[in-house]
Amino acid sequence: MAVQEPQALDTRTPAVPAAGTAAGAPVRQSSLWRDAWRRYVRNKGAVAAAVLFILIVLYAFLIPGIWIVPGIWTDIVNDIDPYNVDFSQANQGASWAHPFGTDQFGRDLFARAALGGQVSIEIGFAATLVILVVAIIYGGISGFVGGSLDNALMRFLDALYGLPFLPFAIITLAIVGTVNIVTMVIALSIVSWFTDARVVRGQIITLKENDYVRAARAVGARWYRILARHLIPNTLGILIISMFLSLPTVVLGEAFISFIGLGINPPDASWGAMANEGRDAYRTHPITIVVPSLFIAAIVLCANFVADGLRDALDPRTRET
Amino acid sequence: MAVYVIRRVLWTLPVILLVILLIFSLMRQIEGNPFRQTERAVPQAIQQNLERKFNLDKPWYAQYAYYVKDVFTFNLGPSLVLRNRTVNEIVKEHFPHSLKLAILAVAWGLVIGLPAGIASALRPNSLFDYAAMFFSNIGFALPNFFVATILIYWLAVQNSFVPTNGWPSDFWDFTDKRVILPSFALGLFFMAFVARLIRGTMLETMQQDYVRTAKAKGLRWRRVVVRHVLRNSLIPVVTAVGPLIGLVITGTFVIETIFSIPGIGRYFVDAVAARDYSVVMGITVLAAVVVIVANLVVDILYGFLDPRTREARS
Repeated sequence: MAVQEPQALDTRTPAVPAAGTAAGAPVRQSSLWRDAWRRYVRNKGAVAAAVLFILIVLYAFLIPGIWIVPGIWTDIVNDIDPYNVDFSQANQGASWAHPFGTDQFGRDLFARAALGGQVSIEIGFAATLVILVVAIIYGGISGFVGGSLDNALMRFLDALYGLPFLPFAIITLAIVGTVNIVTMVIALSIVSWFTDARVVRGQIITLKENDYVRAARAVGARWYRILARHLIPNTLGILIISMFLSLPTVVLGEAFISFIGLGINPPDASWGAMANEGRDAYRTHPITIVVPSLFIAAIVLCANFVADGLRDALDPRTRET
Repeated sequence: MAVYVIRRVLWTLPVILLVILLIFSLMRQIEGNPFRQTERAVPQAIQQNLERKFNLDKPWYAQYAYYVKDVFTFNLGPSLVLRNRTVNEIVKEHFPHSLKLAILAVAWGLVIGLPAGIASALRPNSLFDYAAMFFSNIGFALPNFFVATILIYWLAVQNSFVPTNGWPSDFWDFTDKRVILPSFALGLFFMAFVARLIRGTMLETMQQDYVRTAKAKGLRWRRVVVRHVLRNSLIPVVTAVGPLIGLVITGTFVIETIFSIPGIGRYFVDAVAARDYSVVMGITVLAAVVVIVANLVVDILYGFLDPRTREARS
């Protein structure tokens, strides 16, 4: 990954400069975020990805709610319920009543894919947030304190890199005993924060030597103020990018675990669990595995494109290549 | 260089010890594990004998030391479910199949992904480049269980080019048709990753001053590419391959389940379901050691390829 140009992200200095630091900074700051926004909007692929991403999230979170809202789709209210088993409707193809068809239990796949999407996206975002927080704390301490503590923390991190992702996540699930969204988040994030922690540390170390940090220190700012006001806000850009970079890993990890039958269990759904159910019928009724898989692919693809677009927008230097 | 290699090799030792400690302490937390006494309805005397036999009457650090000793003497203990089998036998029987699957998958990635990425970088924004990056994006995003299912449906069920599942029992049998689909489905992600990475790094390298110098002093373009661009661009690829080994292991779990391959990943999934904890633990330790050794090899290769890191680290 290209090393982030620190100044390019120097955008979050306080609106009222603290004790006469960096005069003129407030004028620069807002325009830089606006520049980033302009650059992002110019990137058509990234905009399309962001729009599709939002649409999928809206679909997942709105559709399961719609069948409860009175007056909407009252005629087909049972059909759109993702839990409603109706064997007379089993294994149907796509139609107006069932846009994605039905599965082998006659459950509507349009509603079920939304329900599964909700679980997959919730797990994805929650795990990504946990990863970020752990990475900020670990990498922040390591980079900010430096010295032998930094060395020790980084060597420990090197060792953790030896942990195999999937077996470790599965063992974590076995320890907790039950599988639900919370335990999946724990299992997926426990082995995924190492790279982000390194990124945060690297960023903090680069920023620490910047003139405005020295200036802040020179005028007597305390360490926690420097950390909270200058260092962490300036790693924000790189963190947003890495959030969208780790989202695919987490979503795919959840899908793998659920697909091999150790994750989310029926009648609840996630995209991976749906693919697992659809696998048995792939010869006769492939749509049951195609629908959740394409959703996974779409969300992964969108997240990658959004991350690329954000990187170009926040760090214009990489655009040259 | 020798100092660097020795240092790096010695450093893996504490890493392995720490990773085993982590796995060991995690396994002790699982309900119904052999370290707990309450869940086993056997007479007191038998319980005590069992505990003594497996050193469970000792404190945890002694148990850990015994386990480390067992790992280093390649003795992973008996299976808790299949009483007449040891974890060693299980590993010996199932691991080679997974290893072969992983090797073939990596081979797909290098044989197709690397040339495709290089060709893309040499003609950026050409039709080929767009096509290659399009497929790379797809390969990157599609979950491998979907790729595998689609390939089975299309190539095995509809056209019967290859069997739907199964695996040759002979490790050295690389020509069996049954290895094609699983290794390709597992290797697709790797392929896409390698192609994108080498393309990106090559485009970056081609902007460097030393490439311009090489061009300016009249070297033929082919020579510049091979000597200057390619060599420097391969370094990040080598670095990326290390962590990817872990991902390939992750993939084998899924692929082996789909294609009924008697590999270690599928056995692991079954062992978790059957609560066969000594097997689960043994396989996890094995996977960890594989990842650690892969990272070690990558680091040493890295040192050979890029003298700068060698000096910085030793």
